[in-house]
Amino acid sequence: MRADPDQLLKAIGTEKEEGHRGQLKIFFGYAAGVGKTYAMLEAAHGALEAGNDVVVGYVEPHTRPQTMALLDGLPVLPVKKTVYKGITLSGFDLDGVIARKPEIAVVDELAHTNAAGSRHTKRYQDVEELLKAGINVYTTVNVQHLESLGDRVAAITGVVVRERIPDRIFDNADQVELVDIEPAELITRLGEGKIYREKQASQAVKHFFSGANLTALREIALRRCADRVNRISENVRIQSNSTYYTDEHILVCLSSSPTNPKIIRTAARMAQAFRARFSALYVATPEAEDLDEEDARRLKNNTHLAEQLGAAIETVTGDDIALQIAEFARLSGVSKIVVGRSNARHKRFGLKANLTEQLITDAPELDVYIIPDEKTNQRVNIKRTLRQAPRIIVSDVVKSFLILIAATTIGFLFYHLHFSEANIITVYILSVLITAIVTTRRSYSLVSSLISVLIFNFCFTDPKWTFNAYDSGYPVTFAIMFIAAFITSSLAVRIKQHAKQSALVAYRTKVLLDTNQFIQKASGRTAIIAVTAGQIIKLLDQAVVFYPVAGGQLETPQVFPKTNQKPDLAWTCDNERAVAAWVCKNNKRAGATTGTLGESRGLYHAVRVNQVVYGVVGVMMCGEDLEAFQNSILLSILGECALALENDKVSREREQAAIMAKNEQLRANLLRAISHDLRTPLTAISGNASILMANSGDLSETQKLRLETDIHDDALWLINLVENLLAVTRIEDGTMNLTLTPELMDDVVETALTHLRRDNPEKKILYQPSPEMLVAKMDAHLIVQVIINLVDNGIKYTPPQSAITVRVYPRKKGTARKPLTDVVVEVADQGPGIADAVKPRIFDMFYTGENKIADNRRSLGLGLALCKSIVTAHNGTIAVYDNKPVGTIFRFSLPAKEVSIDEG
Amino acid sequence: MKANAICIMIVEDDPAVRNLMTTTMETQHYRFCSARTGEEALAKAVSQKPDIILLDLGLPDIDGIAIIKKIRSWSGAPIIVISARSEDQDKIEALDAGADDYLTKPFSVDELLARLRATVRRIGESRKAKDQDQAVFVNGDLKIDYAAGTVYLRGKELHVTPIEYKLLVLFSHNPGKVLTHTFITKEVWGSNWEGDVASLRVYMATLRKKIEKDPASPQVIQTHVGVGYRMMQSNTST
Repeated sequence: MRADPDQLLKAIGTEKEEGHRGQLKIFFGYAAGVGKTYAMLEAAHGALEAGNDVVVGYVEPHTRPQTMALLDGLPVLPVKKTVYKGITLSGFDLDGVIARKPEIAVVDELAHTNAAGSRHTKRYQDVEELLKAGINVYTTVNVQHLESLGDRVAAITGVVVRERIPDRIFDNADQVELVDIEPAELITRLGEGKIYREKQASQAVKHFFSGANLTALREIALRRCADRVNRISENVRIQSNSTYYTDEHILVCLSSSPTNPKIIRTAARMAQAFRARFSALYVATPEAEDLDEEDARRLKNNTHLAEQLGAAIETVTGDDIALQIAEFARLSGVSKIVVGRSNARHKRFGLKANLTEQLITDAPELDVYIIPDEKTNQRVNIKRTLRQAPRIIVSDVVKSFLILIAATTIGFLFYHLHFSEANIITVYILSVLITAIVTTRRSYSLVSSLISVLIFNFCFTDPKWTFNAYDSGYPVTFAIMFIAAFITSSLAVRIKQHAKQSALVAYRTKVLLDTNQFIQKASGRTAIIAVTAGQIIKLLDQAVVFYPVAGGQLETPQVFPKTNQKPDLAWTCDNERAVAAWVCKNNKRAGATTGTLGESRGLYHAVRVNQVVYGVVGVMMCGEDLEAFQNSILLSILGECALALENDKVSREREQAAIMAKNEQLRANLLRAISHDLRTPLTAISGNASILMANSGDLSETQKLRLETDIHDDALWLINLVENLLAVTRIEDGTMNLTLTPELMDDVVETALTHLRRDNPEKKILYQPSPEMLVAKMDAHLIVQVIINLVDNGIKYTPPQSAITVRVYPRKKGTARKPLTDVVVEVADQGPGIADAVKPRIFDMFYTGENKIADNRRSLGLGLALCKSIVTAHNGTIAVYDNKPVGTIFRFSLPAKEVSIDEG
Repeated sequence: MKANAICIMIVEDDPAVRNLMTTTMETQHYRFCSARTGEEALAKAVSQKPDIILLDLGLPDIDGIAIIKKIRSWSGAPIIVISARSEDQDKIEALDAGADDYLTKPFSVDELLARLRATVRRIGESRKAKDQDQAVFVNGDLKIDYAAGTVYLRGKELHVTPIEYKLLVLFSHNPGKVLTHTFITKEVWGSNWEGDVASLRVYMATLRKKIEKDPASPQVIQTHVGVGYRMMQSNTST
């Protein structure tokens, strides 16, 4: 049998992580006073003597004296004093320990809840951060603090423990040392006041420390340790590739019921026992929207509990709970489902089958486990109905009454017209139907139905204006009228709810689909971020702050306020930024509504693919939690965004590599061309000079002058080459680093012509300056170089006696409202012209007229290519045209700059 | 003032270029001394009190700009910067630090000599100017009457706008010296915005149309593209 590849990957993942993760050692006890802290400090002493760097991060200051004595000789970090609402609280200094970075940190009471204002709500989160920072941790915990055992311990001792740690912390600990003493001895210790100081040992404490309780707790603790050992050996078996197989998937349903935690815990324990996948499903029914605050809070706690116990949280929307569960179970391959007994018993009006029966019908292949929980549930149901009753919306009541009044008016009208009673009854049924449509709750139509019957009785049946009826058939009429009205209204309400739900589902699907499409379309990091933020704002209607992350560091945040909202500086203040930085570093969510750094304004999520964080998104919450379905969509959006950012990064890297390769190629080509082009004139210069030095006596003045002229010419040519090379070196990453200043184009052309005339005194270069003053922003030296290259090109390829004309003129473009002008510079020669076939390639690098490099001295086909790069970098255009009657025109244009002169 | 009364200091670390320059000085009968490093240059500037300094910006020990600033702290001797760096920014920095003129390598010997001659003449002018506190500035055909605030070209009064007048006065106070855009805009507008540089270009072009015989080949005000402007001194000036 082969191991499941996923399992293997997971195992590899954890092993890798352990490379830099600290190790966690838990001293585990079954009650206070068994000597956990004592054992922990002893172990710390041992480690210290073995030469390890041990630091005591935190030990409860009210620990027993014998234990406190053990602190002697151990380096203790000072506790952190925080002032919260005027009270000074001392607590564990997380940052202090991380900064100190010892090998082993000793932190007491893993299940402790931190003071408000701390970074994490719970100490175990602090410890996780220490481990992540590579620091080994010694800590203590009692059995009643384990999440999955909380209810069992409570059942035994009658004490509900609020401070709990997720089981995974315990199960993933590298070492667990069980600190165990006989219950009898523990009771003796308590009597001696070793556990609590005499005064504190109240009746309640004594009750807790009864022999029976302690024995039971001890048993649970021992069993839990044994379970953990089992699990480890199981893991070892998986890794050693021995037979291992489980296809179990356990599902538990989330509800706002106070008994729900018990069911969740049972399901979690089963999932562990079966080594099954564990999912928790919440079916959002239409009624769920009316949840009051307490129920909503309980639902959130239950969801959180399931998450802590390792469940994957799923939400589906639907009216028929059983059908939704069955559907989900079928799609996700659920094999077992855990439900409470109240669901199995409770029948509504005896009309509908109960949830369990429905489940059995809808998903016959499913194992259904029923957990006892009913006692409390029914009480709550009554309470809930009572509580919900007073919630009346005024506008709905007014609407209902108006409709009834209208119906009664029409009824009187019909009565006077002597229509039959059936017509009046129909009018009332219609009125109830309308009430059902326009009001928000079923109760209005119910009451409406009842009142309709009463009014009908009161106003239209004999004797009138009484609630009596003479005709013996009336009671039947009333009953039928009531039932008809009620059924009609129920149906209408249900249709309305269905419509609402499908709208919600459609909305969710649409948001996700839109996000996907927009992100696909968005190119570039900024666009992706903007799209993501836009979608989140659309979804949550809250402002969003996005911190892009590069190289593990936060970059400048981008703020996306809601429409018609002004960005608030507080969104990106240092505190908020620190939370974002924490999220980026720890790759976990934090901020408002979470247990970590909950004081902050925003809720921060990492945008990540696996372990790589591409950004941190902050949603500026306004007090309320995200709904489960919002949360799941948010996560999907962020997932999409992260993938897009990853793609973008990869493609950018690829592009950069391509550009670099291209530049490299360019430089290589250039070097090859240069070395050839330098060699020729240098040979001539050195050769001529050596002739002059060796034979100066034998040479005639004319000969000497010729040699000297050659040297001079070649040197000049080299100078020109170097100017071009300098320009080429400024081509970096495909663009140029330009220093742009406004220049008068005529000045620039004149400067270029001064150079050209000096170097080519015999050539006729004509110049037609611009009729008006034209200023353009440019790097003057580069543009001078462009003109020199263009004119040089003309000189090179045209007969000596023909003239070259340089013209500067403006070209108007743009609209009348927004006129734009281009500065055009034209270099026209009367040479042989350029063949049309060659024109498209003339601006290519290393392209020369003859298209061959060898032995053509002036072959460095750099000039025109350089001109093109320079002009393009100036947002200008360059092109080649035919001159009439013969020759070539090179024309380049730069956008002109408007200059305002404010002088009279 | 005679040419040989002038002492020129050549600061250049490259032997070949130094050789070229000293040979040129010898052939033209200038008095000169040379320095290889910045330290040596500063020492000789104190001991020899040169009238003109030819300074290479790329010295092995001290940055050229720093040398200019040091010399400027106690001496007003014209400094002509010689630079192999073609970036305009370097020249502008040197000019703003107090240099008078610049030459870019590779330069021709003729060009070097022309600059030297212009500088020598300017020294003479400014010494004369010191003797008599001038109320009038004359440069070739151009005459500025500071007291009356009027400009004359070939004897005729020239109509100039207030800004053009300010520009002319600024140039007349620094004849022969290359004035950078930054310097000019700061002096005339009191600010140094990009828009000012653009306006400066247009003002200079119109001003030149008024005072140059042939604006296409200016004789009075020379444009140094990317750097600034310089008022040249007419040879006929006395």
